[in-house]
Amino acid sequence: MSTATPAINEPAYAPAGPPPEGHRARGVLALARFEARELLLQAPMLLTFALYVGYVALRLMGRDGMDDYPVLNTVDRQTQMEPLLFAVAVFICCNAAVLRSRKSNTVQQFDVLAMEPWRRTLAHVLSVIPYAVLTALVVVGAFGREALKPGAIGHGSVGELAIGPLTVLLAGVMGVLLAVLLPFPFVPILATIPFYLLIVVASAAGDEGGREGWLSPVLFPAQTGGDPVPTDLLGRPAGWHALYATGLCAVLACVALLRSGGRTRAVKAAAVLALAVTAAGAVGQFSLDTKGLDAARRTAADTPQKVQSCTKHGRSTYCSFDEWSGVRSDWAEVVGRVRSAAGGAAAQVSLTVRQRIGIGDQVEVDSALDPSSTPGEVTVGTRWGGNRVPEFAVGAATVLVGGSEDMTTQELCDDARAVTVMWLVLSTDPTPMDTFRNVRLSDSVSGPGQVLAPTNGLSLTGPQTTVIRELLERPRAAMTARVKAHWTELTSARTTTAQAARLLGVEVPKEAEKCEE
Amino acid sequence: MTTASASGPVPGHSGRVASGAATVTAADLSLRFGGTRALDGVSLRLGHGVTGLLGPNGAGKTTLLRVLATAVPPDGGRVTALGHDPGTASGRLALRRTLGYLPQNPGFHPDFTAFDFVDYVAILKELTDRAARLREVRRVLEAVNLSDVRGKRLKRLSGGMRQRVALAAALVGDPGFLVLDEPTVGLDPEQRMHFRELIAQAGEGRTVLLSTHQTEDVAMLCHRVVVLDRGHVRFEGAPAELTARAAGRVWSSTERDPSARAGWRTGTGAFRNVGDPPKGADLLEPSLEDGYLLVLDGDGDGDGDDAAVAV
Repeated sequence: MSTATPAINEPAYAPAGPPPEGHRARGVLALARFEARELLLQAPMLLTFALYVGYVALRLMGRDGMDDYPVLNTVDRQTQMEPLLFAVAVFICCNAAVLRSRKSNTVQQFDVLAMEPWRRTLAHVLSVIPYAVLTALVVVGAFGREALKPGAIGHGSVGELAIGPLTVLLAGVMGVLLAVLLPFPFVPILATIPFYLLIVVASAAGDEGGREGWLSPVLFPAQTGGDPVPTDLLGRPAGWHALYATGLCAVLACVALLRSGGRTRAVKAAAVLALAVTAAGAVGQFSLDTKGLDAARRTAADTPQKVQSCTKHGRSTYCSFDEWSGVRSDWAEVVGRVRSAAGGAAAQVSLTVRQRIGIGDQVEVDSALDPSSTPGEVTVGTRWGGNRVPEFAVGAATVLVGGSEDMTTQELCDDARAVTVMWLVLSTDPTPMDTFRNVRLSDSVSGPGQVLAPTNGLSLTGPQTTVIRELLERPRAAMTARVKAHWTELTSARTTTAQAARLLGVEVPKEAEKCEE
Repeated sequence: MTTASASGPVPGHSGRVASGAATVTAADLSLRFGGTRALDGVSLRLGHGVTGLLGPNGAGKTTLLRVLATAVPPDGGRVTALGHDPGTASGRLALRRTLGYLPQNPGFHPDFTAFDFVDYVAILKELTDRAARLREVRRVLEAVNLSDVRGKRLKRLSGGMRQRVALAAALVGDPGFLVLDEPTVGLDPEQRMHFRELIAQAGEGRTVLLSTHQTEDVAMLCHRVVVLDRGHVRFEGAPAELTARAAGRVWSSTERDPSARAGWRTGTGAFRNVGDPPKGADLLEPSLEDGYLLVLDGDGDGDGDDAAVAV
């Protein structure tokens, strides 16, 4: 490299007159942009964001049929935990960014520059916002994809959707605050553990119905895999919680600014406002009418007809919680299909399809519903799509064959009705053998097995399974005609599986005469 | 610090003032660290051009520079720089907007590129017009001859290059007052020569205060020199005046002269002595360093001691 001093022809920086209005704010924004770009170049940020987006993409792509009917009041909550690892990276990288000057020994030379330390702290806080926005875009994208599906059920909550981005924002602000309060590089690593434990403890408290759990900005979702319930039964103060988390972000940011020397009137006013917002959010979380909520849950579980609306399709009535009204026509299509294979009075009988939920001490439990004893009433759950469709068909067929779901409480071993139920379900199915396999817990089409339904389901013996499989291998139209012709016998509790086999013209299994179960 | 008597910021770009006038004045500055008086009634006046600040280790040079650069407030006395009083918040901010400071051991963000580092400093100097700021960063990097490596991370640059990046950072925003604390330490002769060119260029039209141990730097660069010792100004004047202090007081001898205040064997094998020469001594042409040694040895003529001398 040449050591000759180059001649500089370009004119030096020459601001025209004194700094204009907003000059200092623009300086902070310029630094925030710079810091945001620096954050983007940090390996943990890139890696965890790629993991986050990759995970969301995989979740959206790798689906089963049930996901074609997403319940949006659960989908919105799924978005909350997914960015947590990214939030940890934001926390650590923001902390490191604030400590950069200290680590690199530039404090002395930067302290005499025009921008005061508290404005730099503000810039660090602002530098997190693009990442919160980025998270919001992923959240909105993931949720939007589900919400735009024709089968999407219900609606999401903006409050629930805001928690993911707010978690990222809060993590960044906490990283900045921690660097201001405890300027040592190992602190964020150590702090991650108690923060995690705090969330676990708060989540556990929340699961047990304790409102204090909501004071944690992030809660791990409870009862994963449980059946969805109507939004108004969730009892989640999502909006208040989002307000609380927003206020908390602002409070922590203000503490960081004040601690950095920004004791200006504006910062103090912002701190007071942020405290008020946080307090309002916290109080709002606790102001939930728990007694009223319990009563509403009890009503929804015990006497759903009081809170449901119904639609008539053909001869049957379909009743659901309002958020599920769009699925009624799908239920009607299944009922119509099953009914088309039925004979006798069943082909004309009026059914009432009733959506039911199970609520114990908690909502969204994964508990089995008791069969309805009301004649002609078919139970349907709050999940739809995938295996839930043939399971519902089993329920509908059970009522068509036995008159009510109570039939499943009886001993059906060596009972022709089990064969008839399964025939109704499978004979009208486009892929009967696959459906037969999928609807059985054992995932096989031989031997004894439990068939799933919205309530009790059916226990099939080995011979019953054999007869059903034999039936499915025969010409469909001919077998349907035989079933309809022998409907009375095939729906009688006194008809055995062997008799049914004979009536339908299939080989009688050797062990058909004895009950295996 | 009391309010500056100077009449507000001087109009013109970056607080520049007309040549010849005092741009920076310090009056009776004192600063104590525990039981140590780092500055004890220091007064000086600086104008355009490069002023050298000489002094032994512990003389208070860095402390004086830090006070003038607004890094630490003095316990007493007052400073006015480019018409701003750093004793007030608004004055301090105004001064910082037109100040370039290169500390003794500047830090670097190793993962930043040279461009990013200077850009970062430019942002902290509140150069808010993005296009103008980026242009300015390119300009100062070109000025310190680092355009070719501006995209390189600082950790990949040599010590000399990093020092030039620090100088570029100090120069960004075209400051009217440049405070340089031993910027040539650790540089090889070629780099030091280049740095001298840069500093000389920087001194054109601005006030530069250069702290150094290198009397050679002062001799080559500075139109004024201040000698500081134990928190006191021992000399303030032109380098030629400092050199003149040693006129007739440097002589050559074949053996070390015990009466000399300082003496050392030169490359020729003869001894160079500084002090009061014996009669008939073989007098030599004095250097700035000879004058500096005599001033430090308390051989001032009195007019430099703690006195503010107009530059």
